[in-house]
Amino acid sequence: MDPGALCETAEELYESAPCGYLSTLPDGTIIRVNQTFLSWIGMERNDLVGHRCFQDLLNVGGKIFYDTHFAPLLRMQGFVNEIAFDLTCADGRQLPVLANTVQKLDAAGRPMVHRITLFNATDRRKYERELLLARQKAEQATEELKRLNETLEERVAQEVAERLKAEEALRQAQKMEAVGQLTGGIAHDFNNLLTIIVGNIELIQRRLPEGNERLQRATDHAMEATRRAATLTQRLLAFSRRQPLDPKPIDANKLVAGMSELLRRTLGETVVLETVLAGGLWRTQADPNQLENAIVNLAVNARDAMPNGGKLTIETANTRLDEAYVEALAEPVPPGQYVRVSVSDTGTGMDKATMERVFEPFFTTKEAGKGTGLGLSQVYGFVRQSNGHVWIYSELGEGTTIKIYLPRLIGSDEEPTETPPQKPEMVKGAGETILVVEDEPSLRAYSVEALRDLGYRVLEAADGKGALAVVEQHPEIHLLFTDVVLTGGMNGRVLAEEVARRKPGVPVLYTTGYTANAIVHHGRLDPGMHLIGKPYTYAELAAKVRSVLDEAQF
Amino acid sequence: MSAVLQRHNVKVLGQGQQPMVLAHGYGCDQNMWRFITPAFEDRYKIVLFDHVGHGQSDAATFDRTRYGSLDGYAEDVLAICRELDLKDVIFVGHSVSAMIGVLAAVREPERFARLVLIGPSPCYINDGDYVGGFKREDIEGLLDFLDSNHLGWSSTMAPVIMGNPDRPELGEELTNSFCRTDPEIAKHFARVTFLSDNRADLPRLAKKALILQCSHDVIAPEAVGRYMHQNLPGSEFVLLRATGHCPNLSAPEETIAAMEAFLRDPAPAKAVA
Repeated sequence: MDPGALCETAEELYESAPCGYLSTLPDGTIIRVNQTFLSWIGMERNDLVGHRCFQDLLNVGGKIFYDTHFAPLLRMQGFVNEIAFDLTCADGRQLPVLANTVQKLDAAGRPMVHRITLFNATDRRKYERELLLARQKAEQATEELKRLNETLEERVAQEVAERLKAEEALRQAQKMEAVGQLTGGIAHDFNNLLTIIVGNIELIQRRLPEGNERLQRATDHAMEATRRAATLTQRLLAFSRRQPLDPKPIDANKLVAGMSELLRRTLGETVVLETVLAGGLWRTQADPNQLENAIVNLAVNARDAMPNGGKLTIETANTRLDEAYVEALAEPVPPGQYVRVSVSDTGTGMDKATMERVFEPFFTTKEAGKGTGLGLSQVYGFVRQSNGHVWIYSELGEGTTIKIYLPRLIGSDEEPTETPPQKPEMVKGAGETILVVEDEPSLRAYSVEALRDLGYRVLEAADGKGALAVVEQHPEIHLLFTDVVLTGGMNGRVLAEEVARRKPGVPVLYTTGYTANAIVHHGRLDPGMHLIGKPYTYAELAAKVRSVLDEAQF
Repeated sequence: MSAVLQRHNVKVLGQGQQPMVLAHGYGCDQNMWRFITPAFEDRYKIVLFDHVGHGQSDAATFDRTRYGSLDGYAEDVLAICRELDLKDVIFVGHSVSAMIGVLAAVREPERFARLVLIGPSPCYINDGDYVGGFKREDIEGLLDFLDSNHLGWSSTMAPVIMGNPDRPELGEELTNSFCRTDPEIAKHFARVTFLSDNRADLPRLAKKALILQCSHDVIAPEAVGRYMHQNLPGSEFVLLRATGHCPNLSAPEETIAAMEAFLRDPAPAKAVA
């Protein structure tokens, strides 16, 4: 046997090499190709040799690259290495290859033939793609990091400023809350004391011998002073948002228009009053007396800020507080539609430090004895308790605008009620039985005595449990008169429910210095409930008890 | 060296007075004129340069807005002419630089004497009756291909794939030593080139121009060369036997001969009916 037959021939090596071999003329015409290449692209030798150019087998990008890069390079440097091409196979598939090419010259130095070696680059292309993706990601991350670093200082400063602002707002809100609780507690106790004082002065007045004018005047003065004290405590309660409110549908335009005479008198001759009332104004729901108080308080402040005269403008408008606006507020205010009442003056204005404190009780810029420091506190407390919002804007030397936002009243057909004249009348009792429940002994004693004086039969109890015991023994009672807040674990509302279970139909009159949530939901009277706020006078008590009893008889 | 000359790696050679400015096309650099220039050095002042992002130009001066159309490149040609105070210029432009030369000569005709346009195309994409040689989707495929960085281009742009900032020589070794282009700029230039349409500028050229058209040119087919000829007043059209897109490399003798014949002809531009 010919030992040479055992060795591979050059032909075998060429045809079955693990790479594609092509020879082309300088213009790309294929003149020789190996079997490996043919099997890769699925074409016949005869289809290619002499008929096709190498660049014809490339995709569009490859064809352009062949002419713009590959051919010039080959001509200039005699070889081109590691060019990534995509070959278009017979079945339309793209085969990624890597091409190394050498240019052979003839004896005269002219290009004669190109020897092209192709490697299947499917896997390598895949790696390259992954590498490129990873690289892109890394670059993006680096870019992002760079950007973050560049803006870091700015963002930190911004962040800190925002945090400081939020902390400041929170601190302010907490302060107002704390001051509110403190003043509310004091005012509550003080109210109880005032009730006793008022009652006893009235008692003295009734029992004074005829003709003793000196004592008469003294008790009149004492009574006047207690009324003023009662006004102060009312404002304190307003600020602490614990005053009992009697919210009613309000047409703010009517309310403002109805106040113009009062305001003109308050403002004096040097201040011009202008009212700008919006057409189609929505209705709102609030305590009309308190809204009037708020407007008067603002007008008084405005007047005092314009010692040399000026202009006071009261405007009404429909408005909307959007999410973005309410989010920026320290206090929780729901976004939505509001009726706005704004009071603007052309006065001295105030600086930022003053603005931050104006709502605090007893904070005043007025001379000692001129102001109580409770006017704006009342505004703030009343509006907040009415689920509204107060906005203040001031420029030193230009003036101040304070805007009150009260929630729009929707879905009620109730007509706005006129503010009723509250002239208490002395009305006597007709022997009806009243159960008085009050945990404060001297206050209870005052009430019991007043009612007896009025001609009622009075039973009393210090707490809910005692009251129920009385009801068991005396089923004839006509009226339950109870404090809202009682010691002994049962509040006035629960007591009323228990009484109603035992003796349905008995009317209830509540009294309170302030109310938590018992009968007054978020500071509001539930419809159909009767309330007399402390401190109440003998006459007020008489009128209220009578009207509740009369109403119950229908 | 002035900033402009440095930016474009400008080389001036030759013993003649009349300037011959040679502008390389897409995908190469001034090296592509190496077989042409020796034939003209004795009679002309040869000016070679690289477009920004190609060869030894200063790629850092590349600006996507300035080079958002061929006008930016034409402005570069004019800047070089101004810097060297060139007048009576013979402009030789290959491929896309042929149109860049047309735009430059339209803008400042007084600087130019004649233009030699090798493989020119005013618009690569077919448009109605106009045959540009490529369908729009072909060009979009090309641009996608470039964007994906899959690279017929991987050797000229090897640093992209093999890039190792600590050992740049590793990239250098694997890179073919001519026609180096910045891959990002090359992509951008491809986009600007292959999406350009400067057909409307052709009639505005009032210079004698030679159109050198290769046989079997994929990038600028014969129909495109004939369109150029019809729309360039005073142009001459020569169909070369050379195939492909780069006769200056593949058939320098034939290219030189055609240029010589054109430059020898003293006749003024003939109006084309």
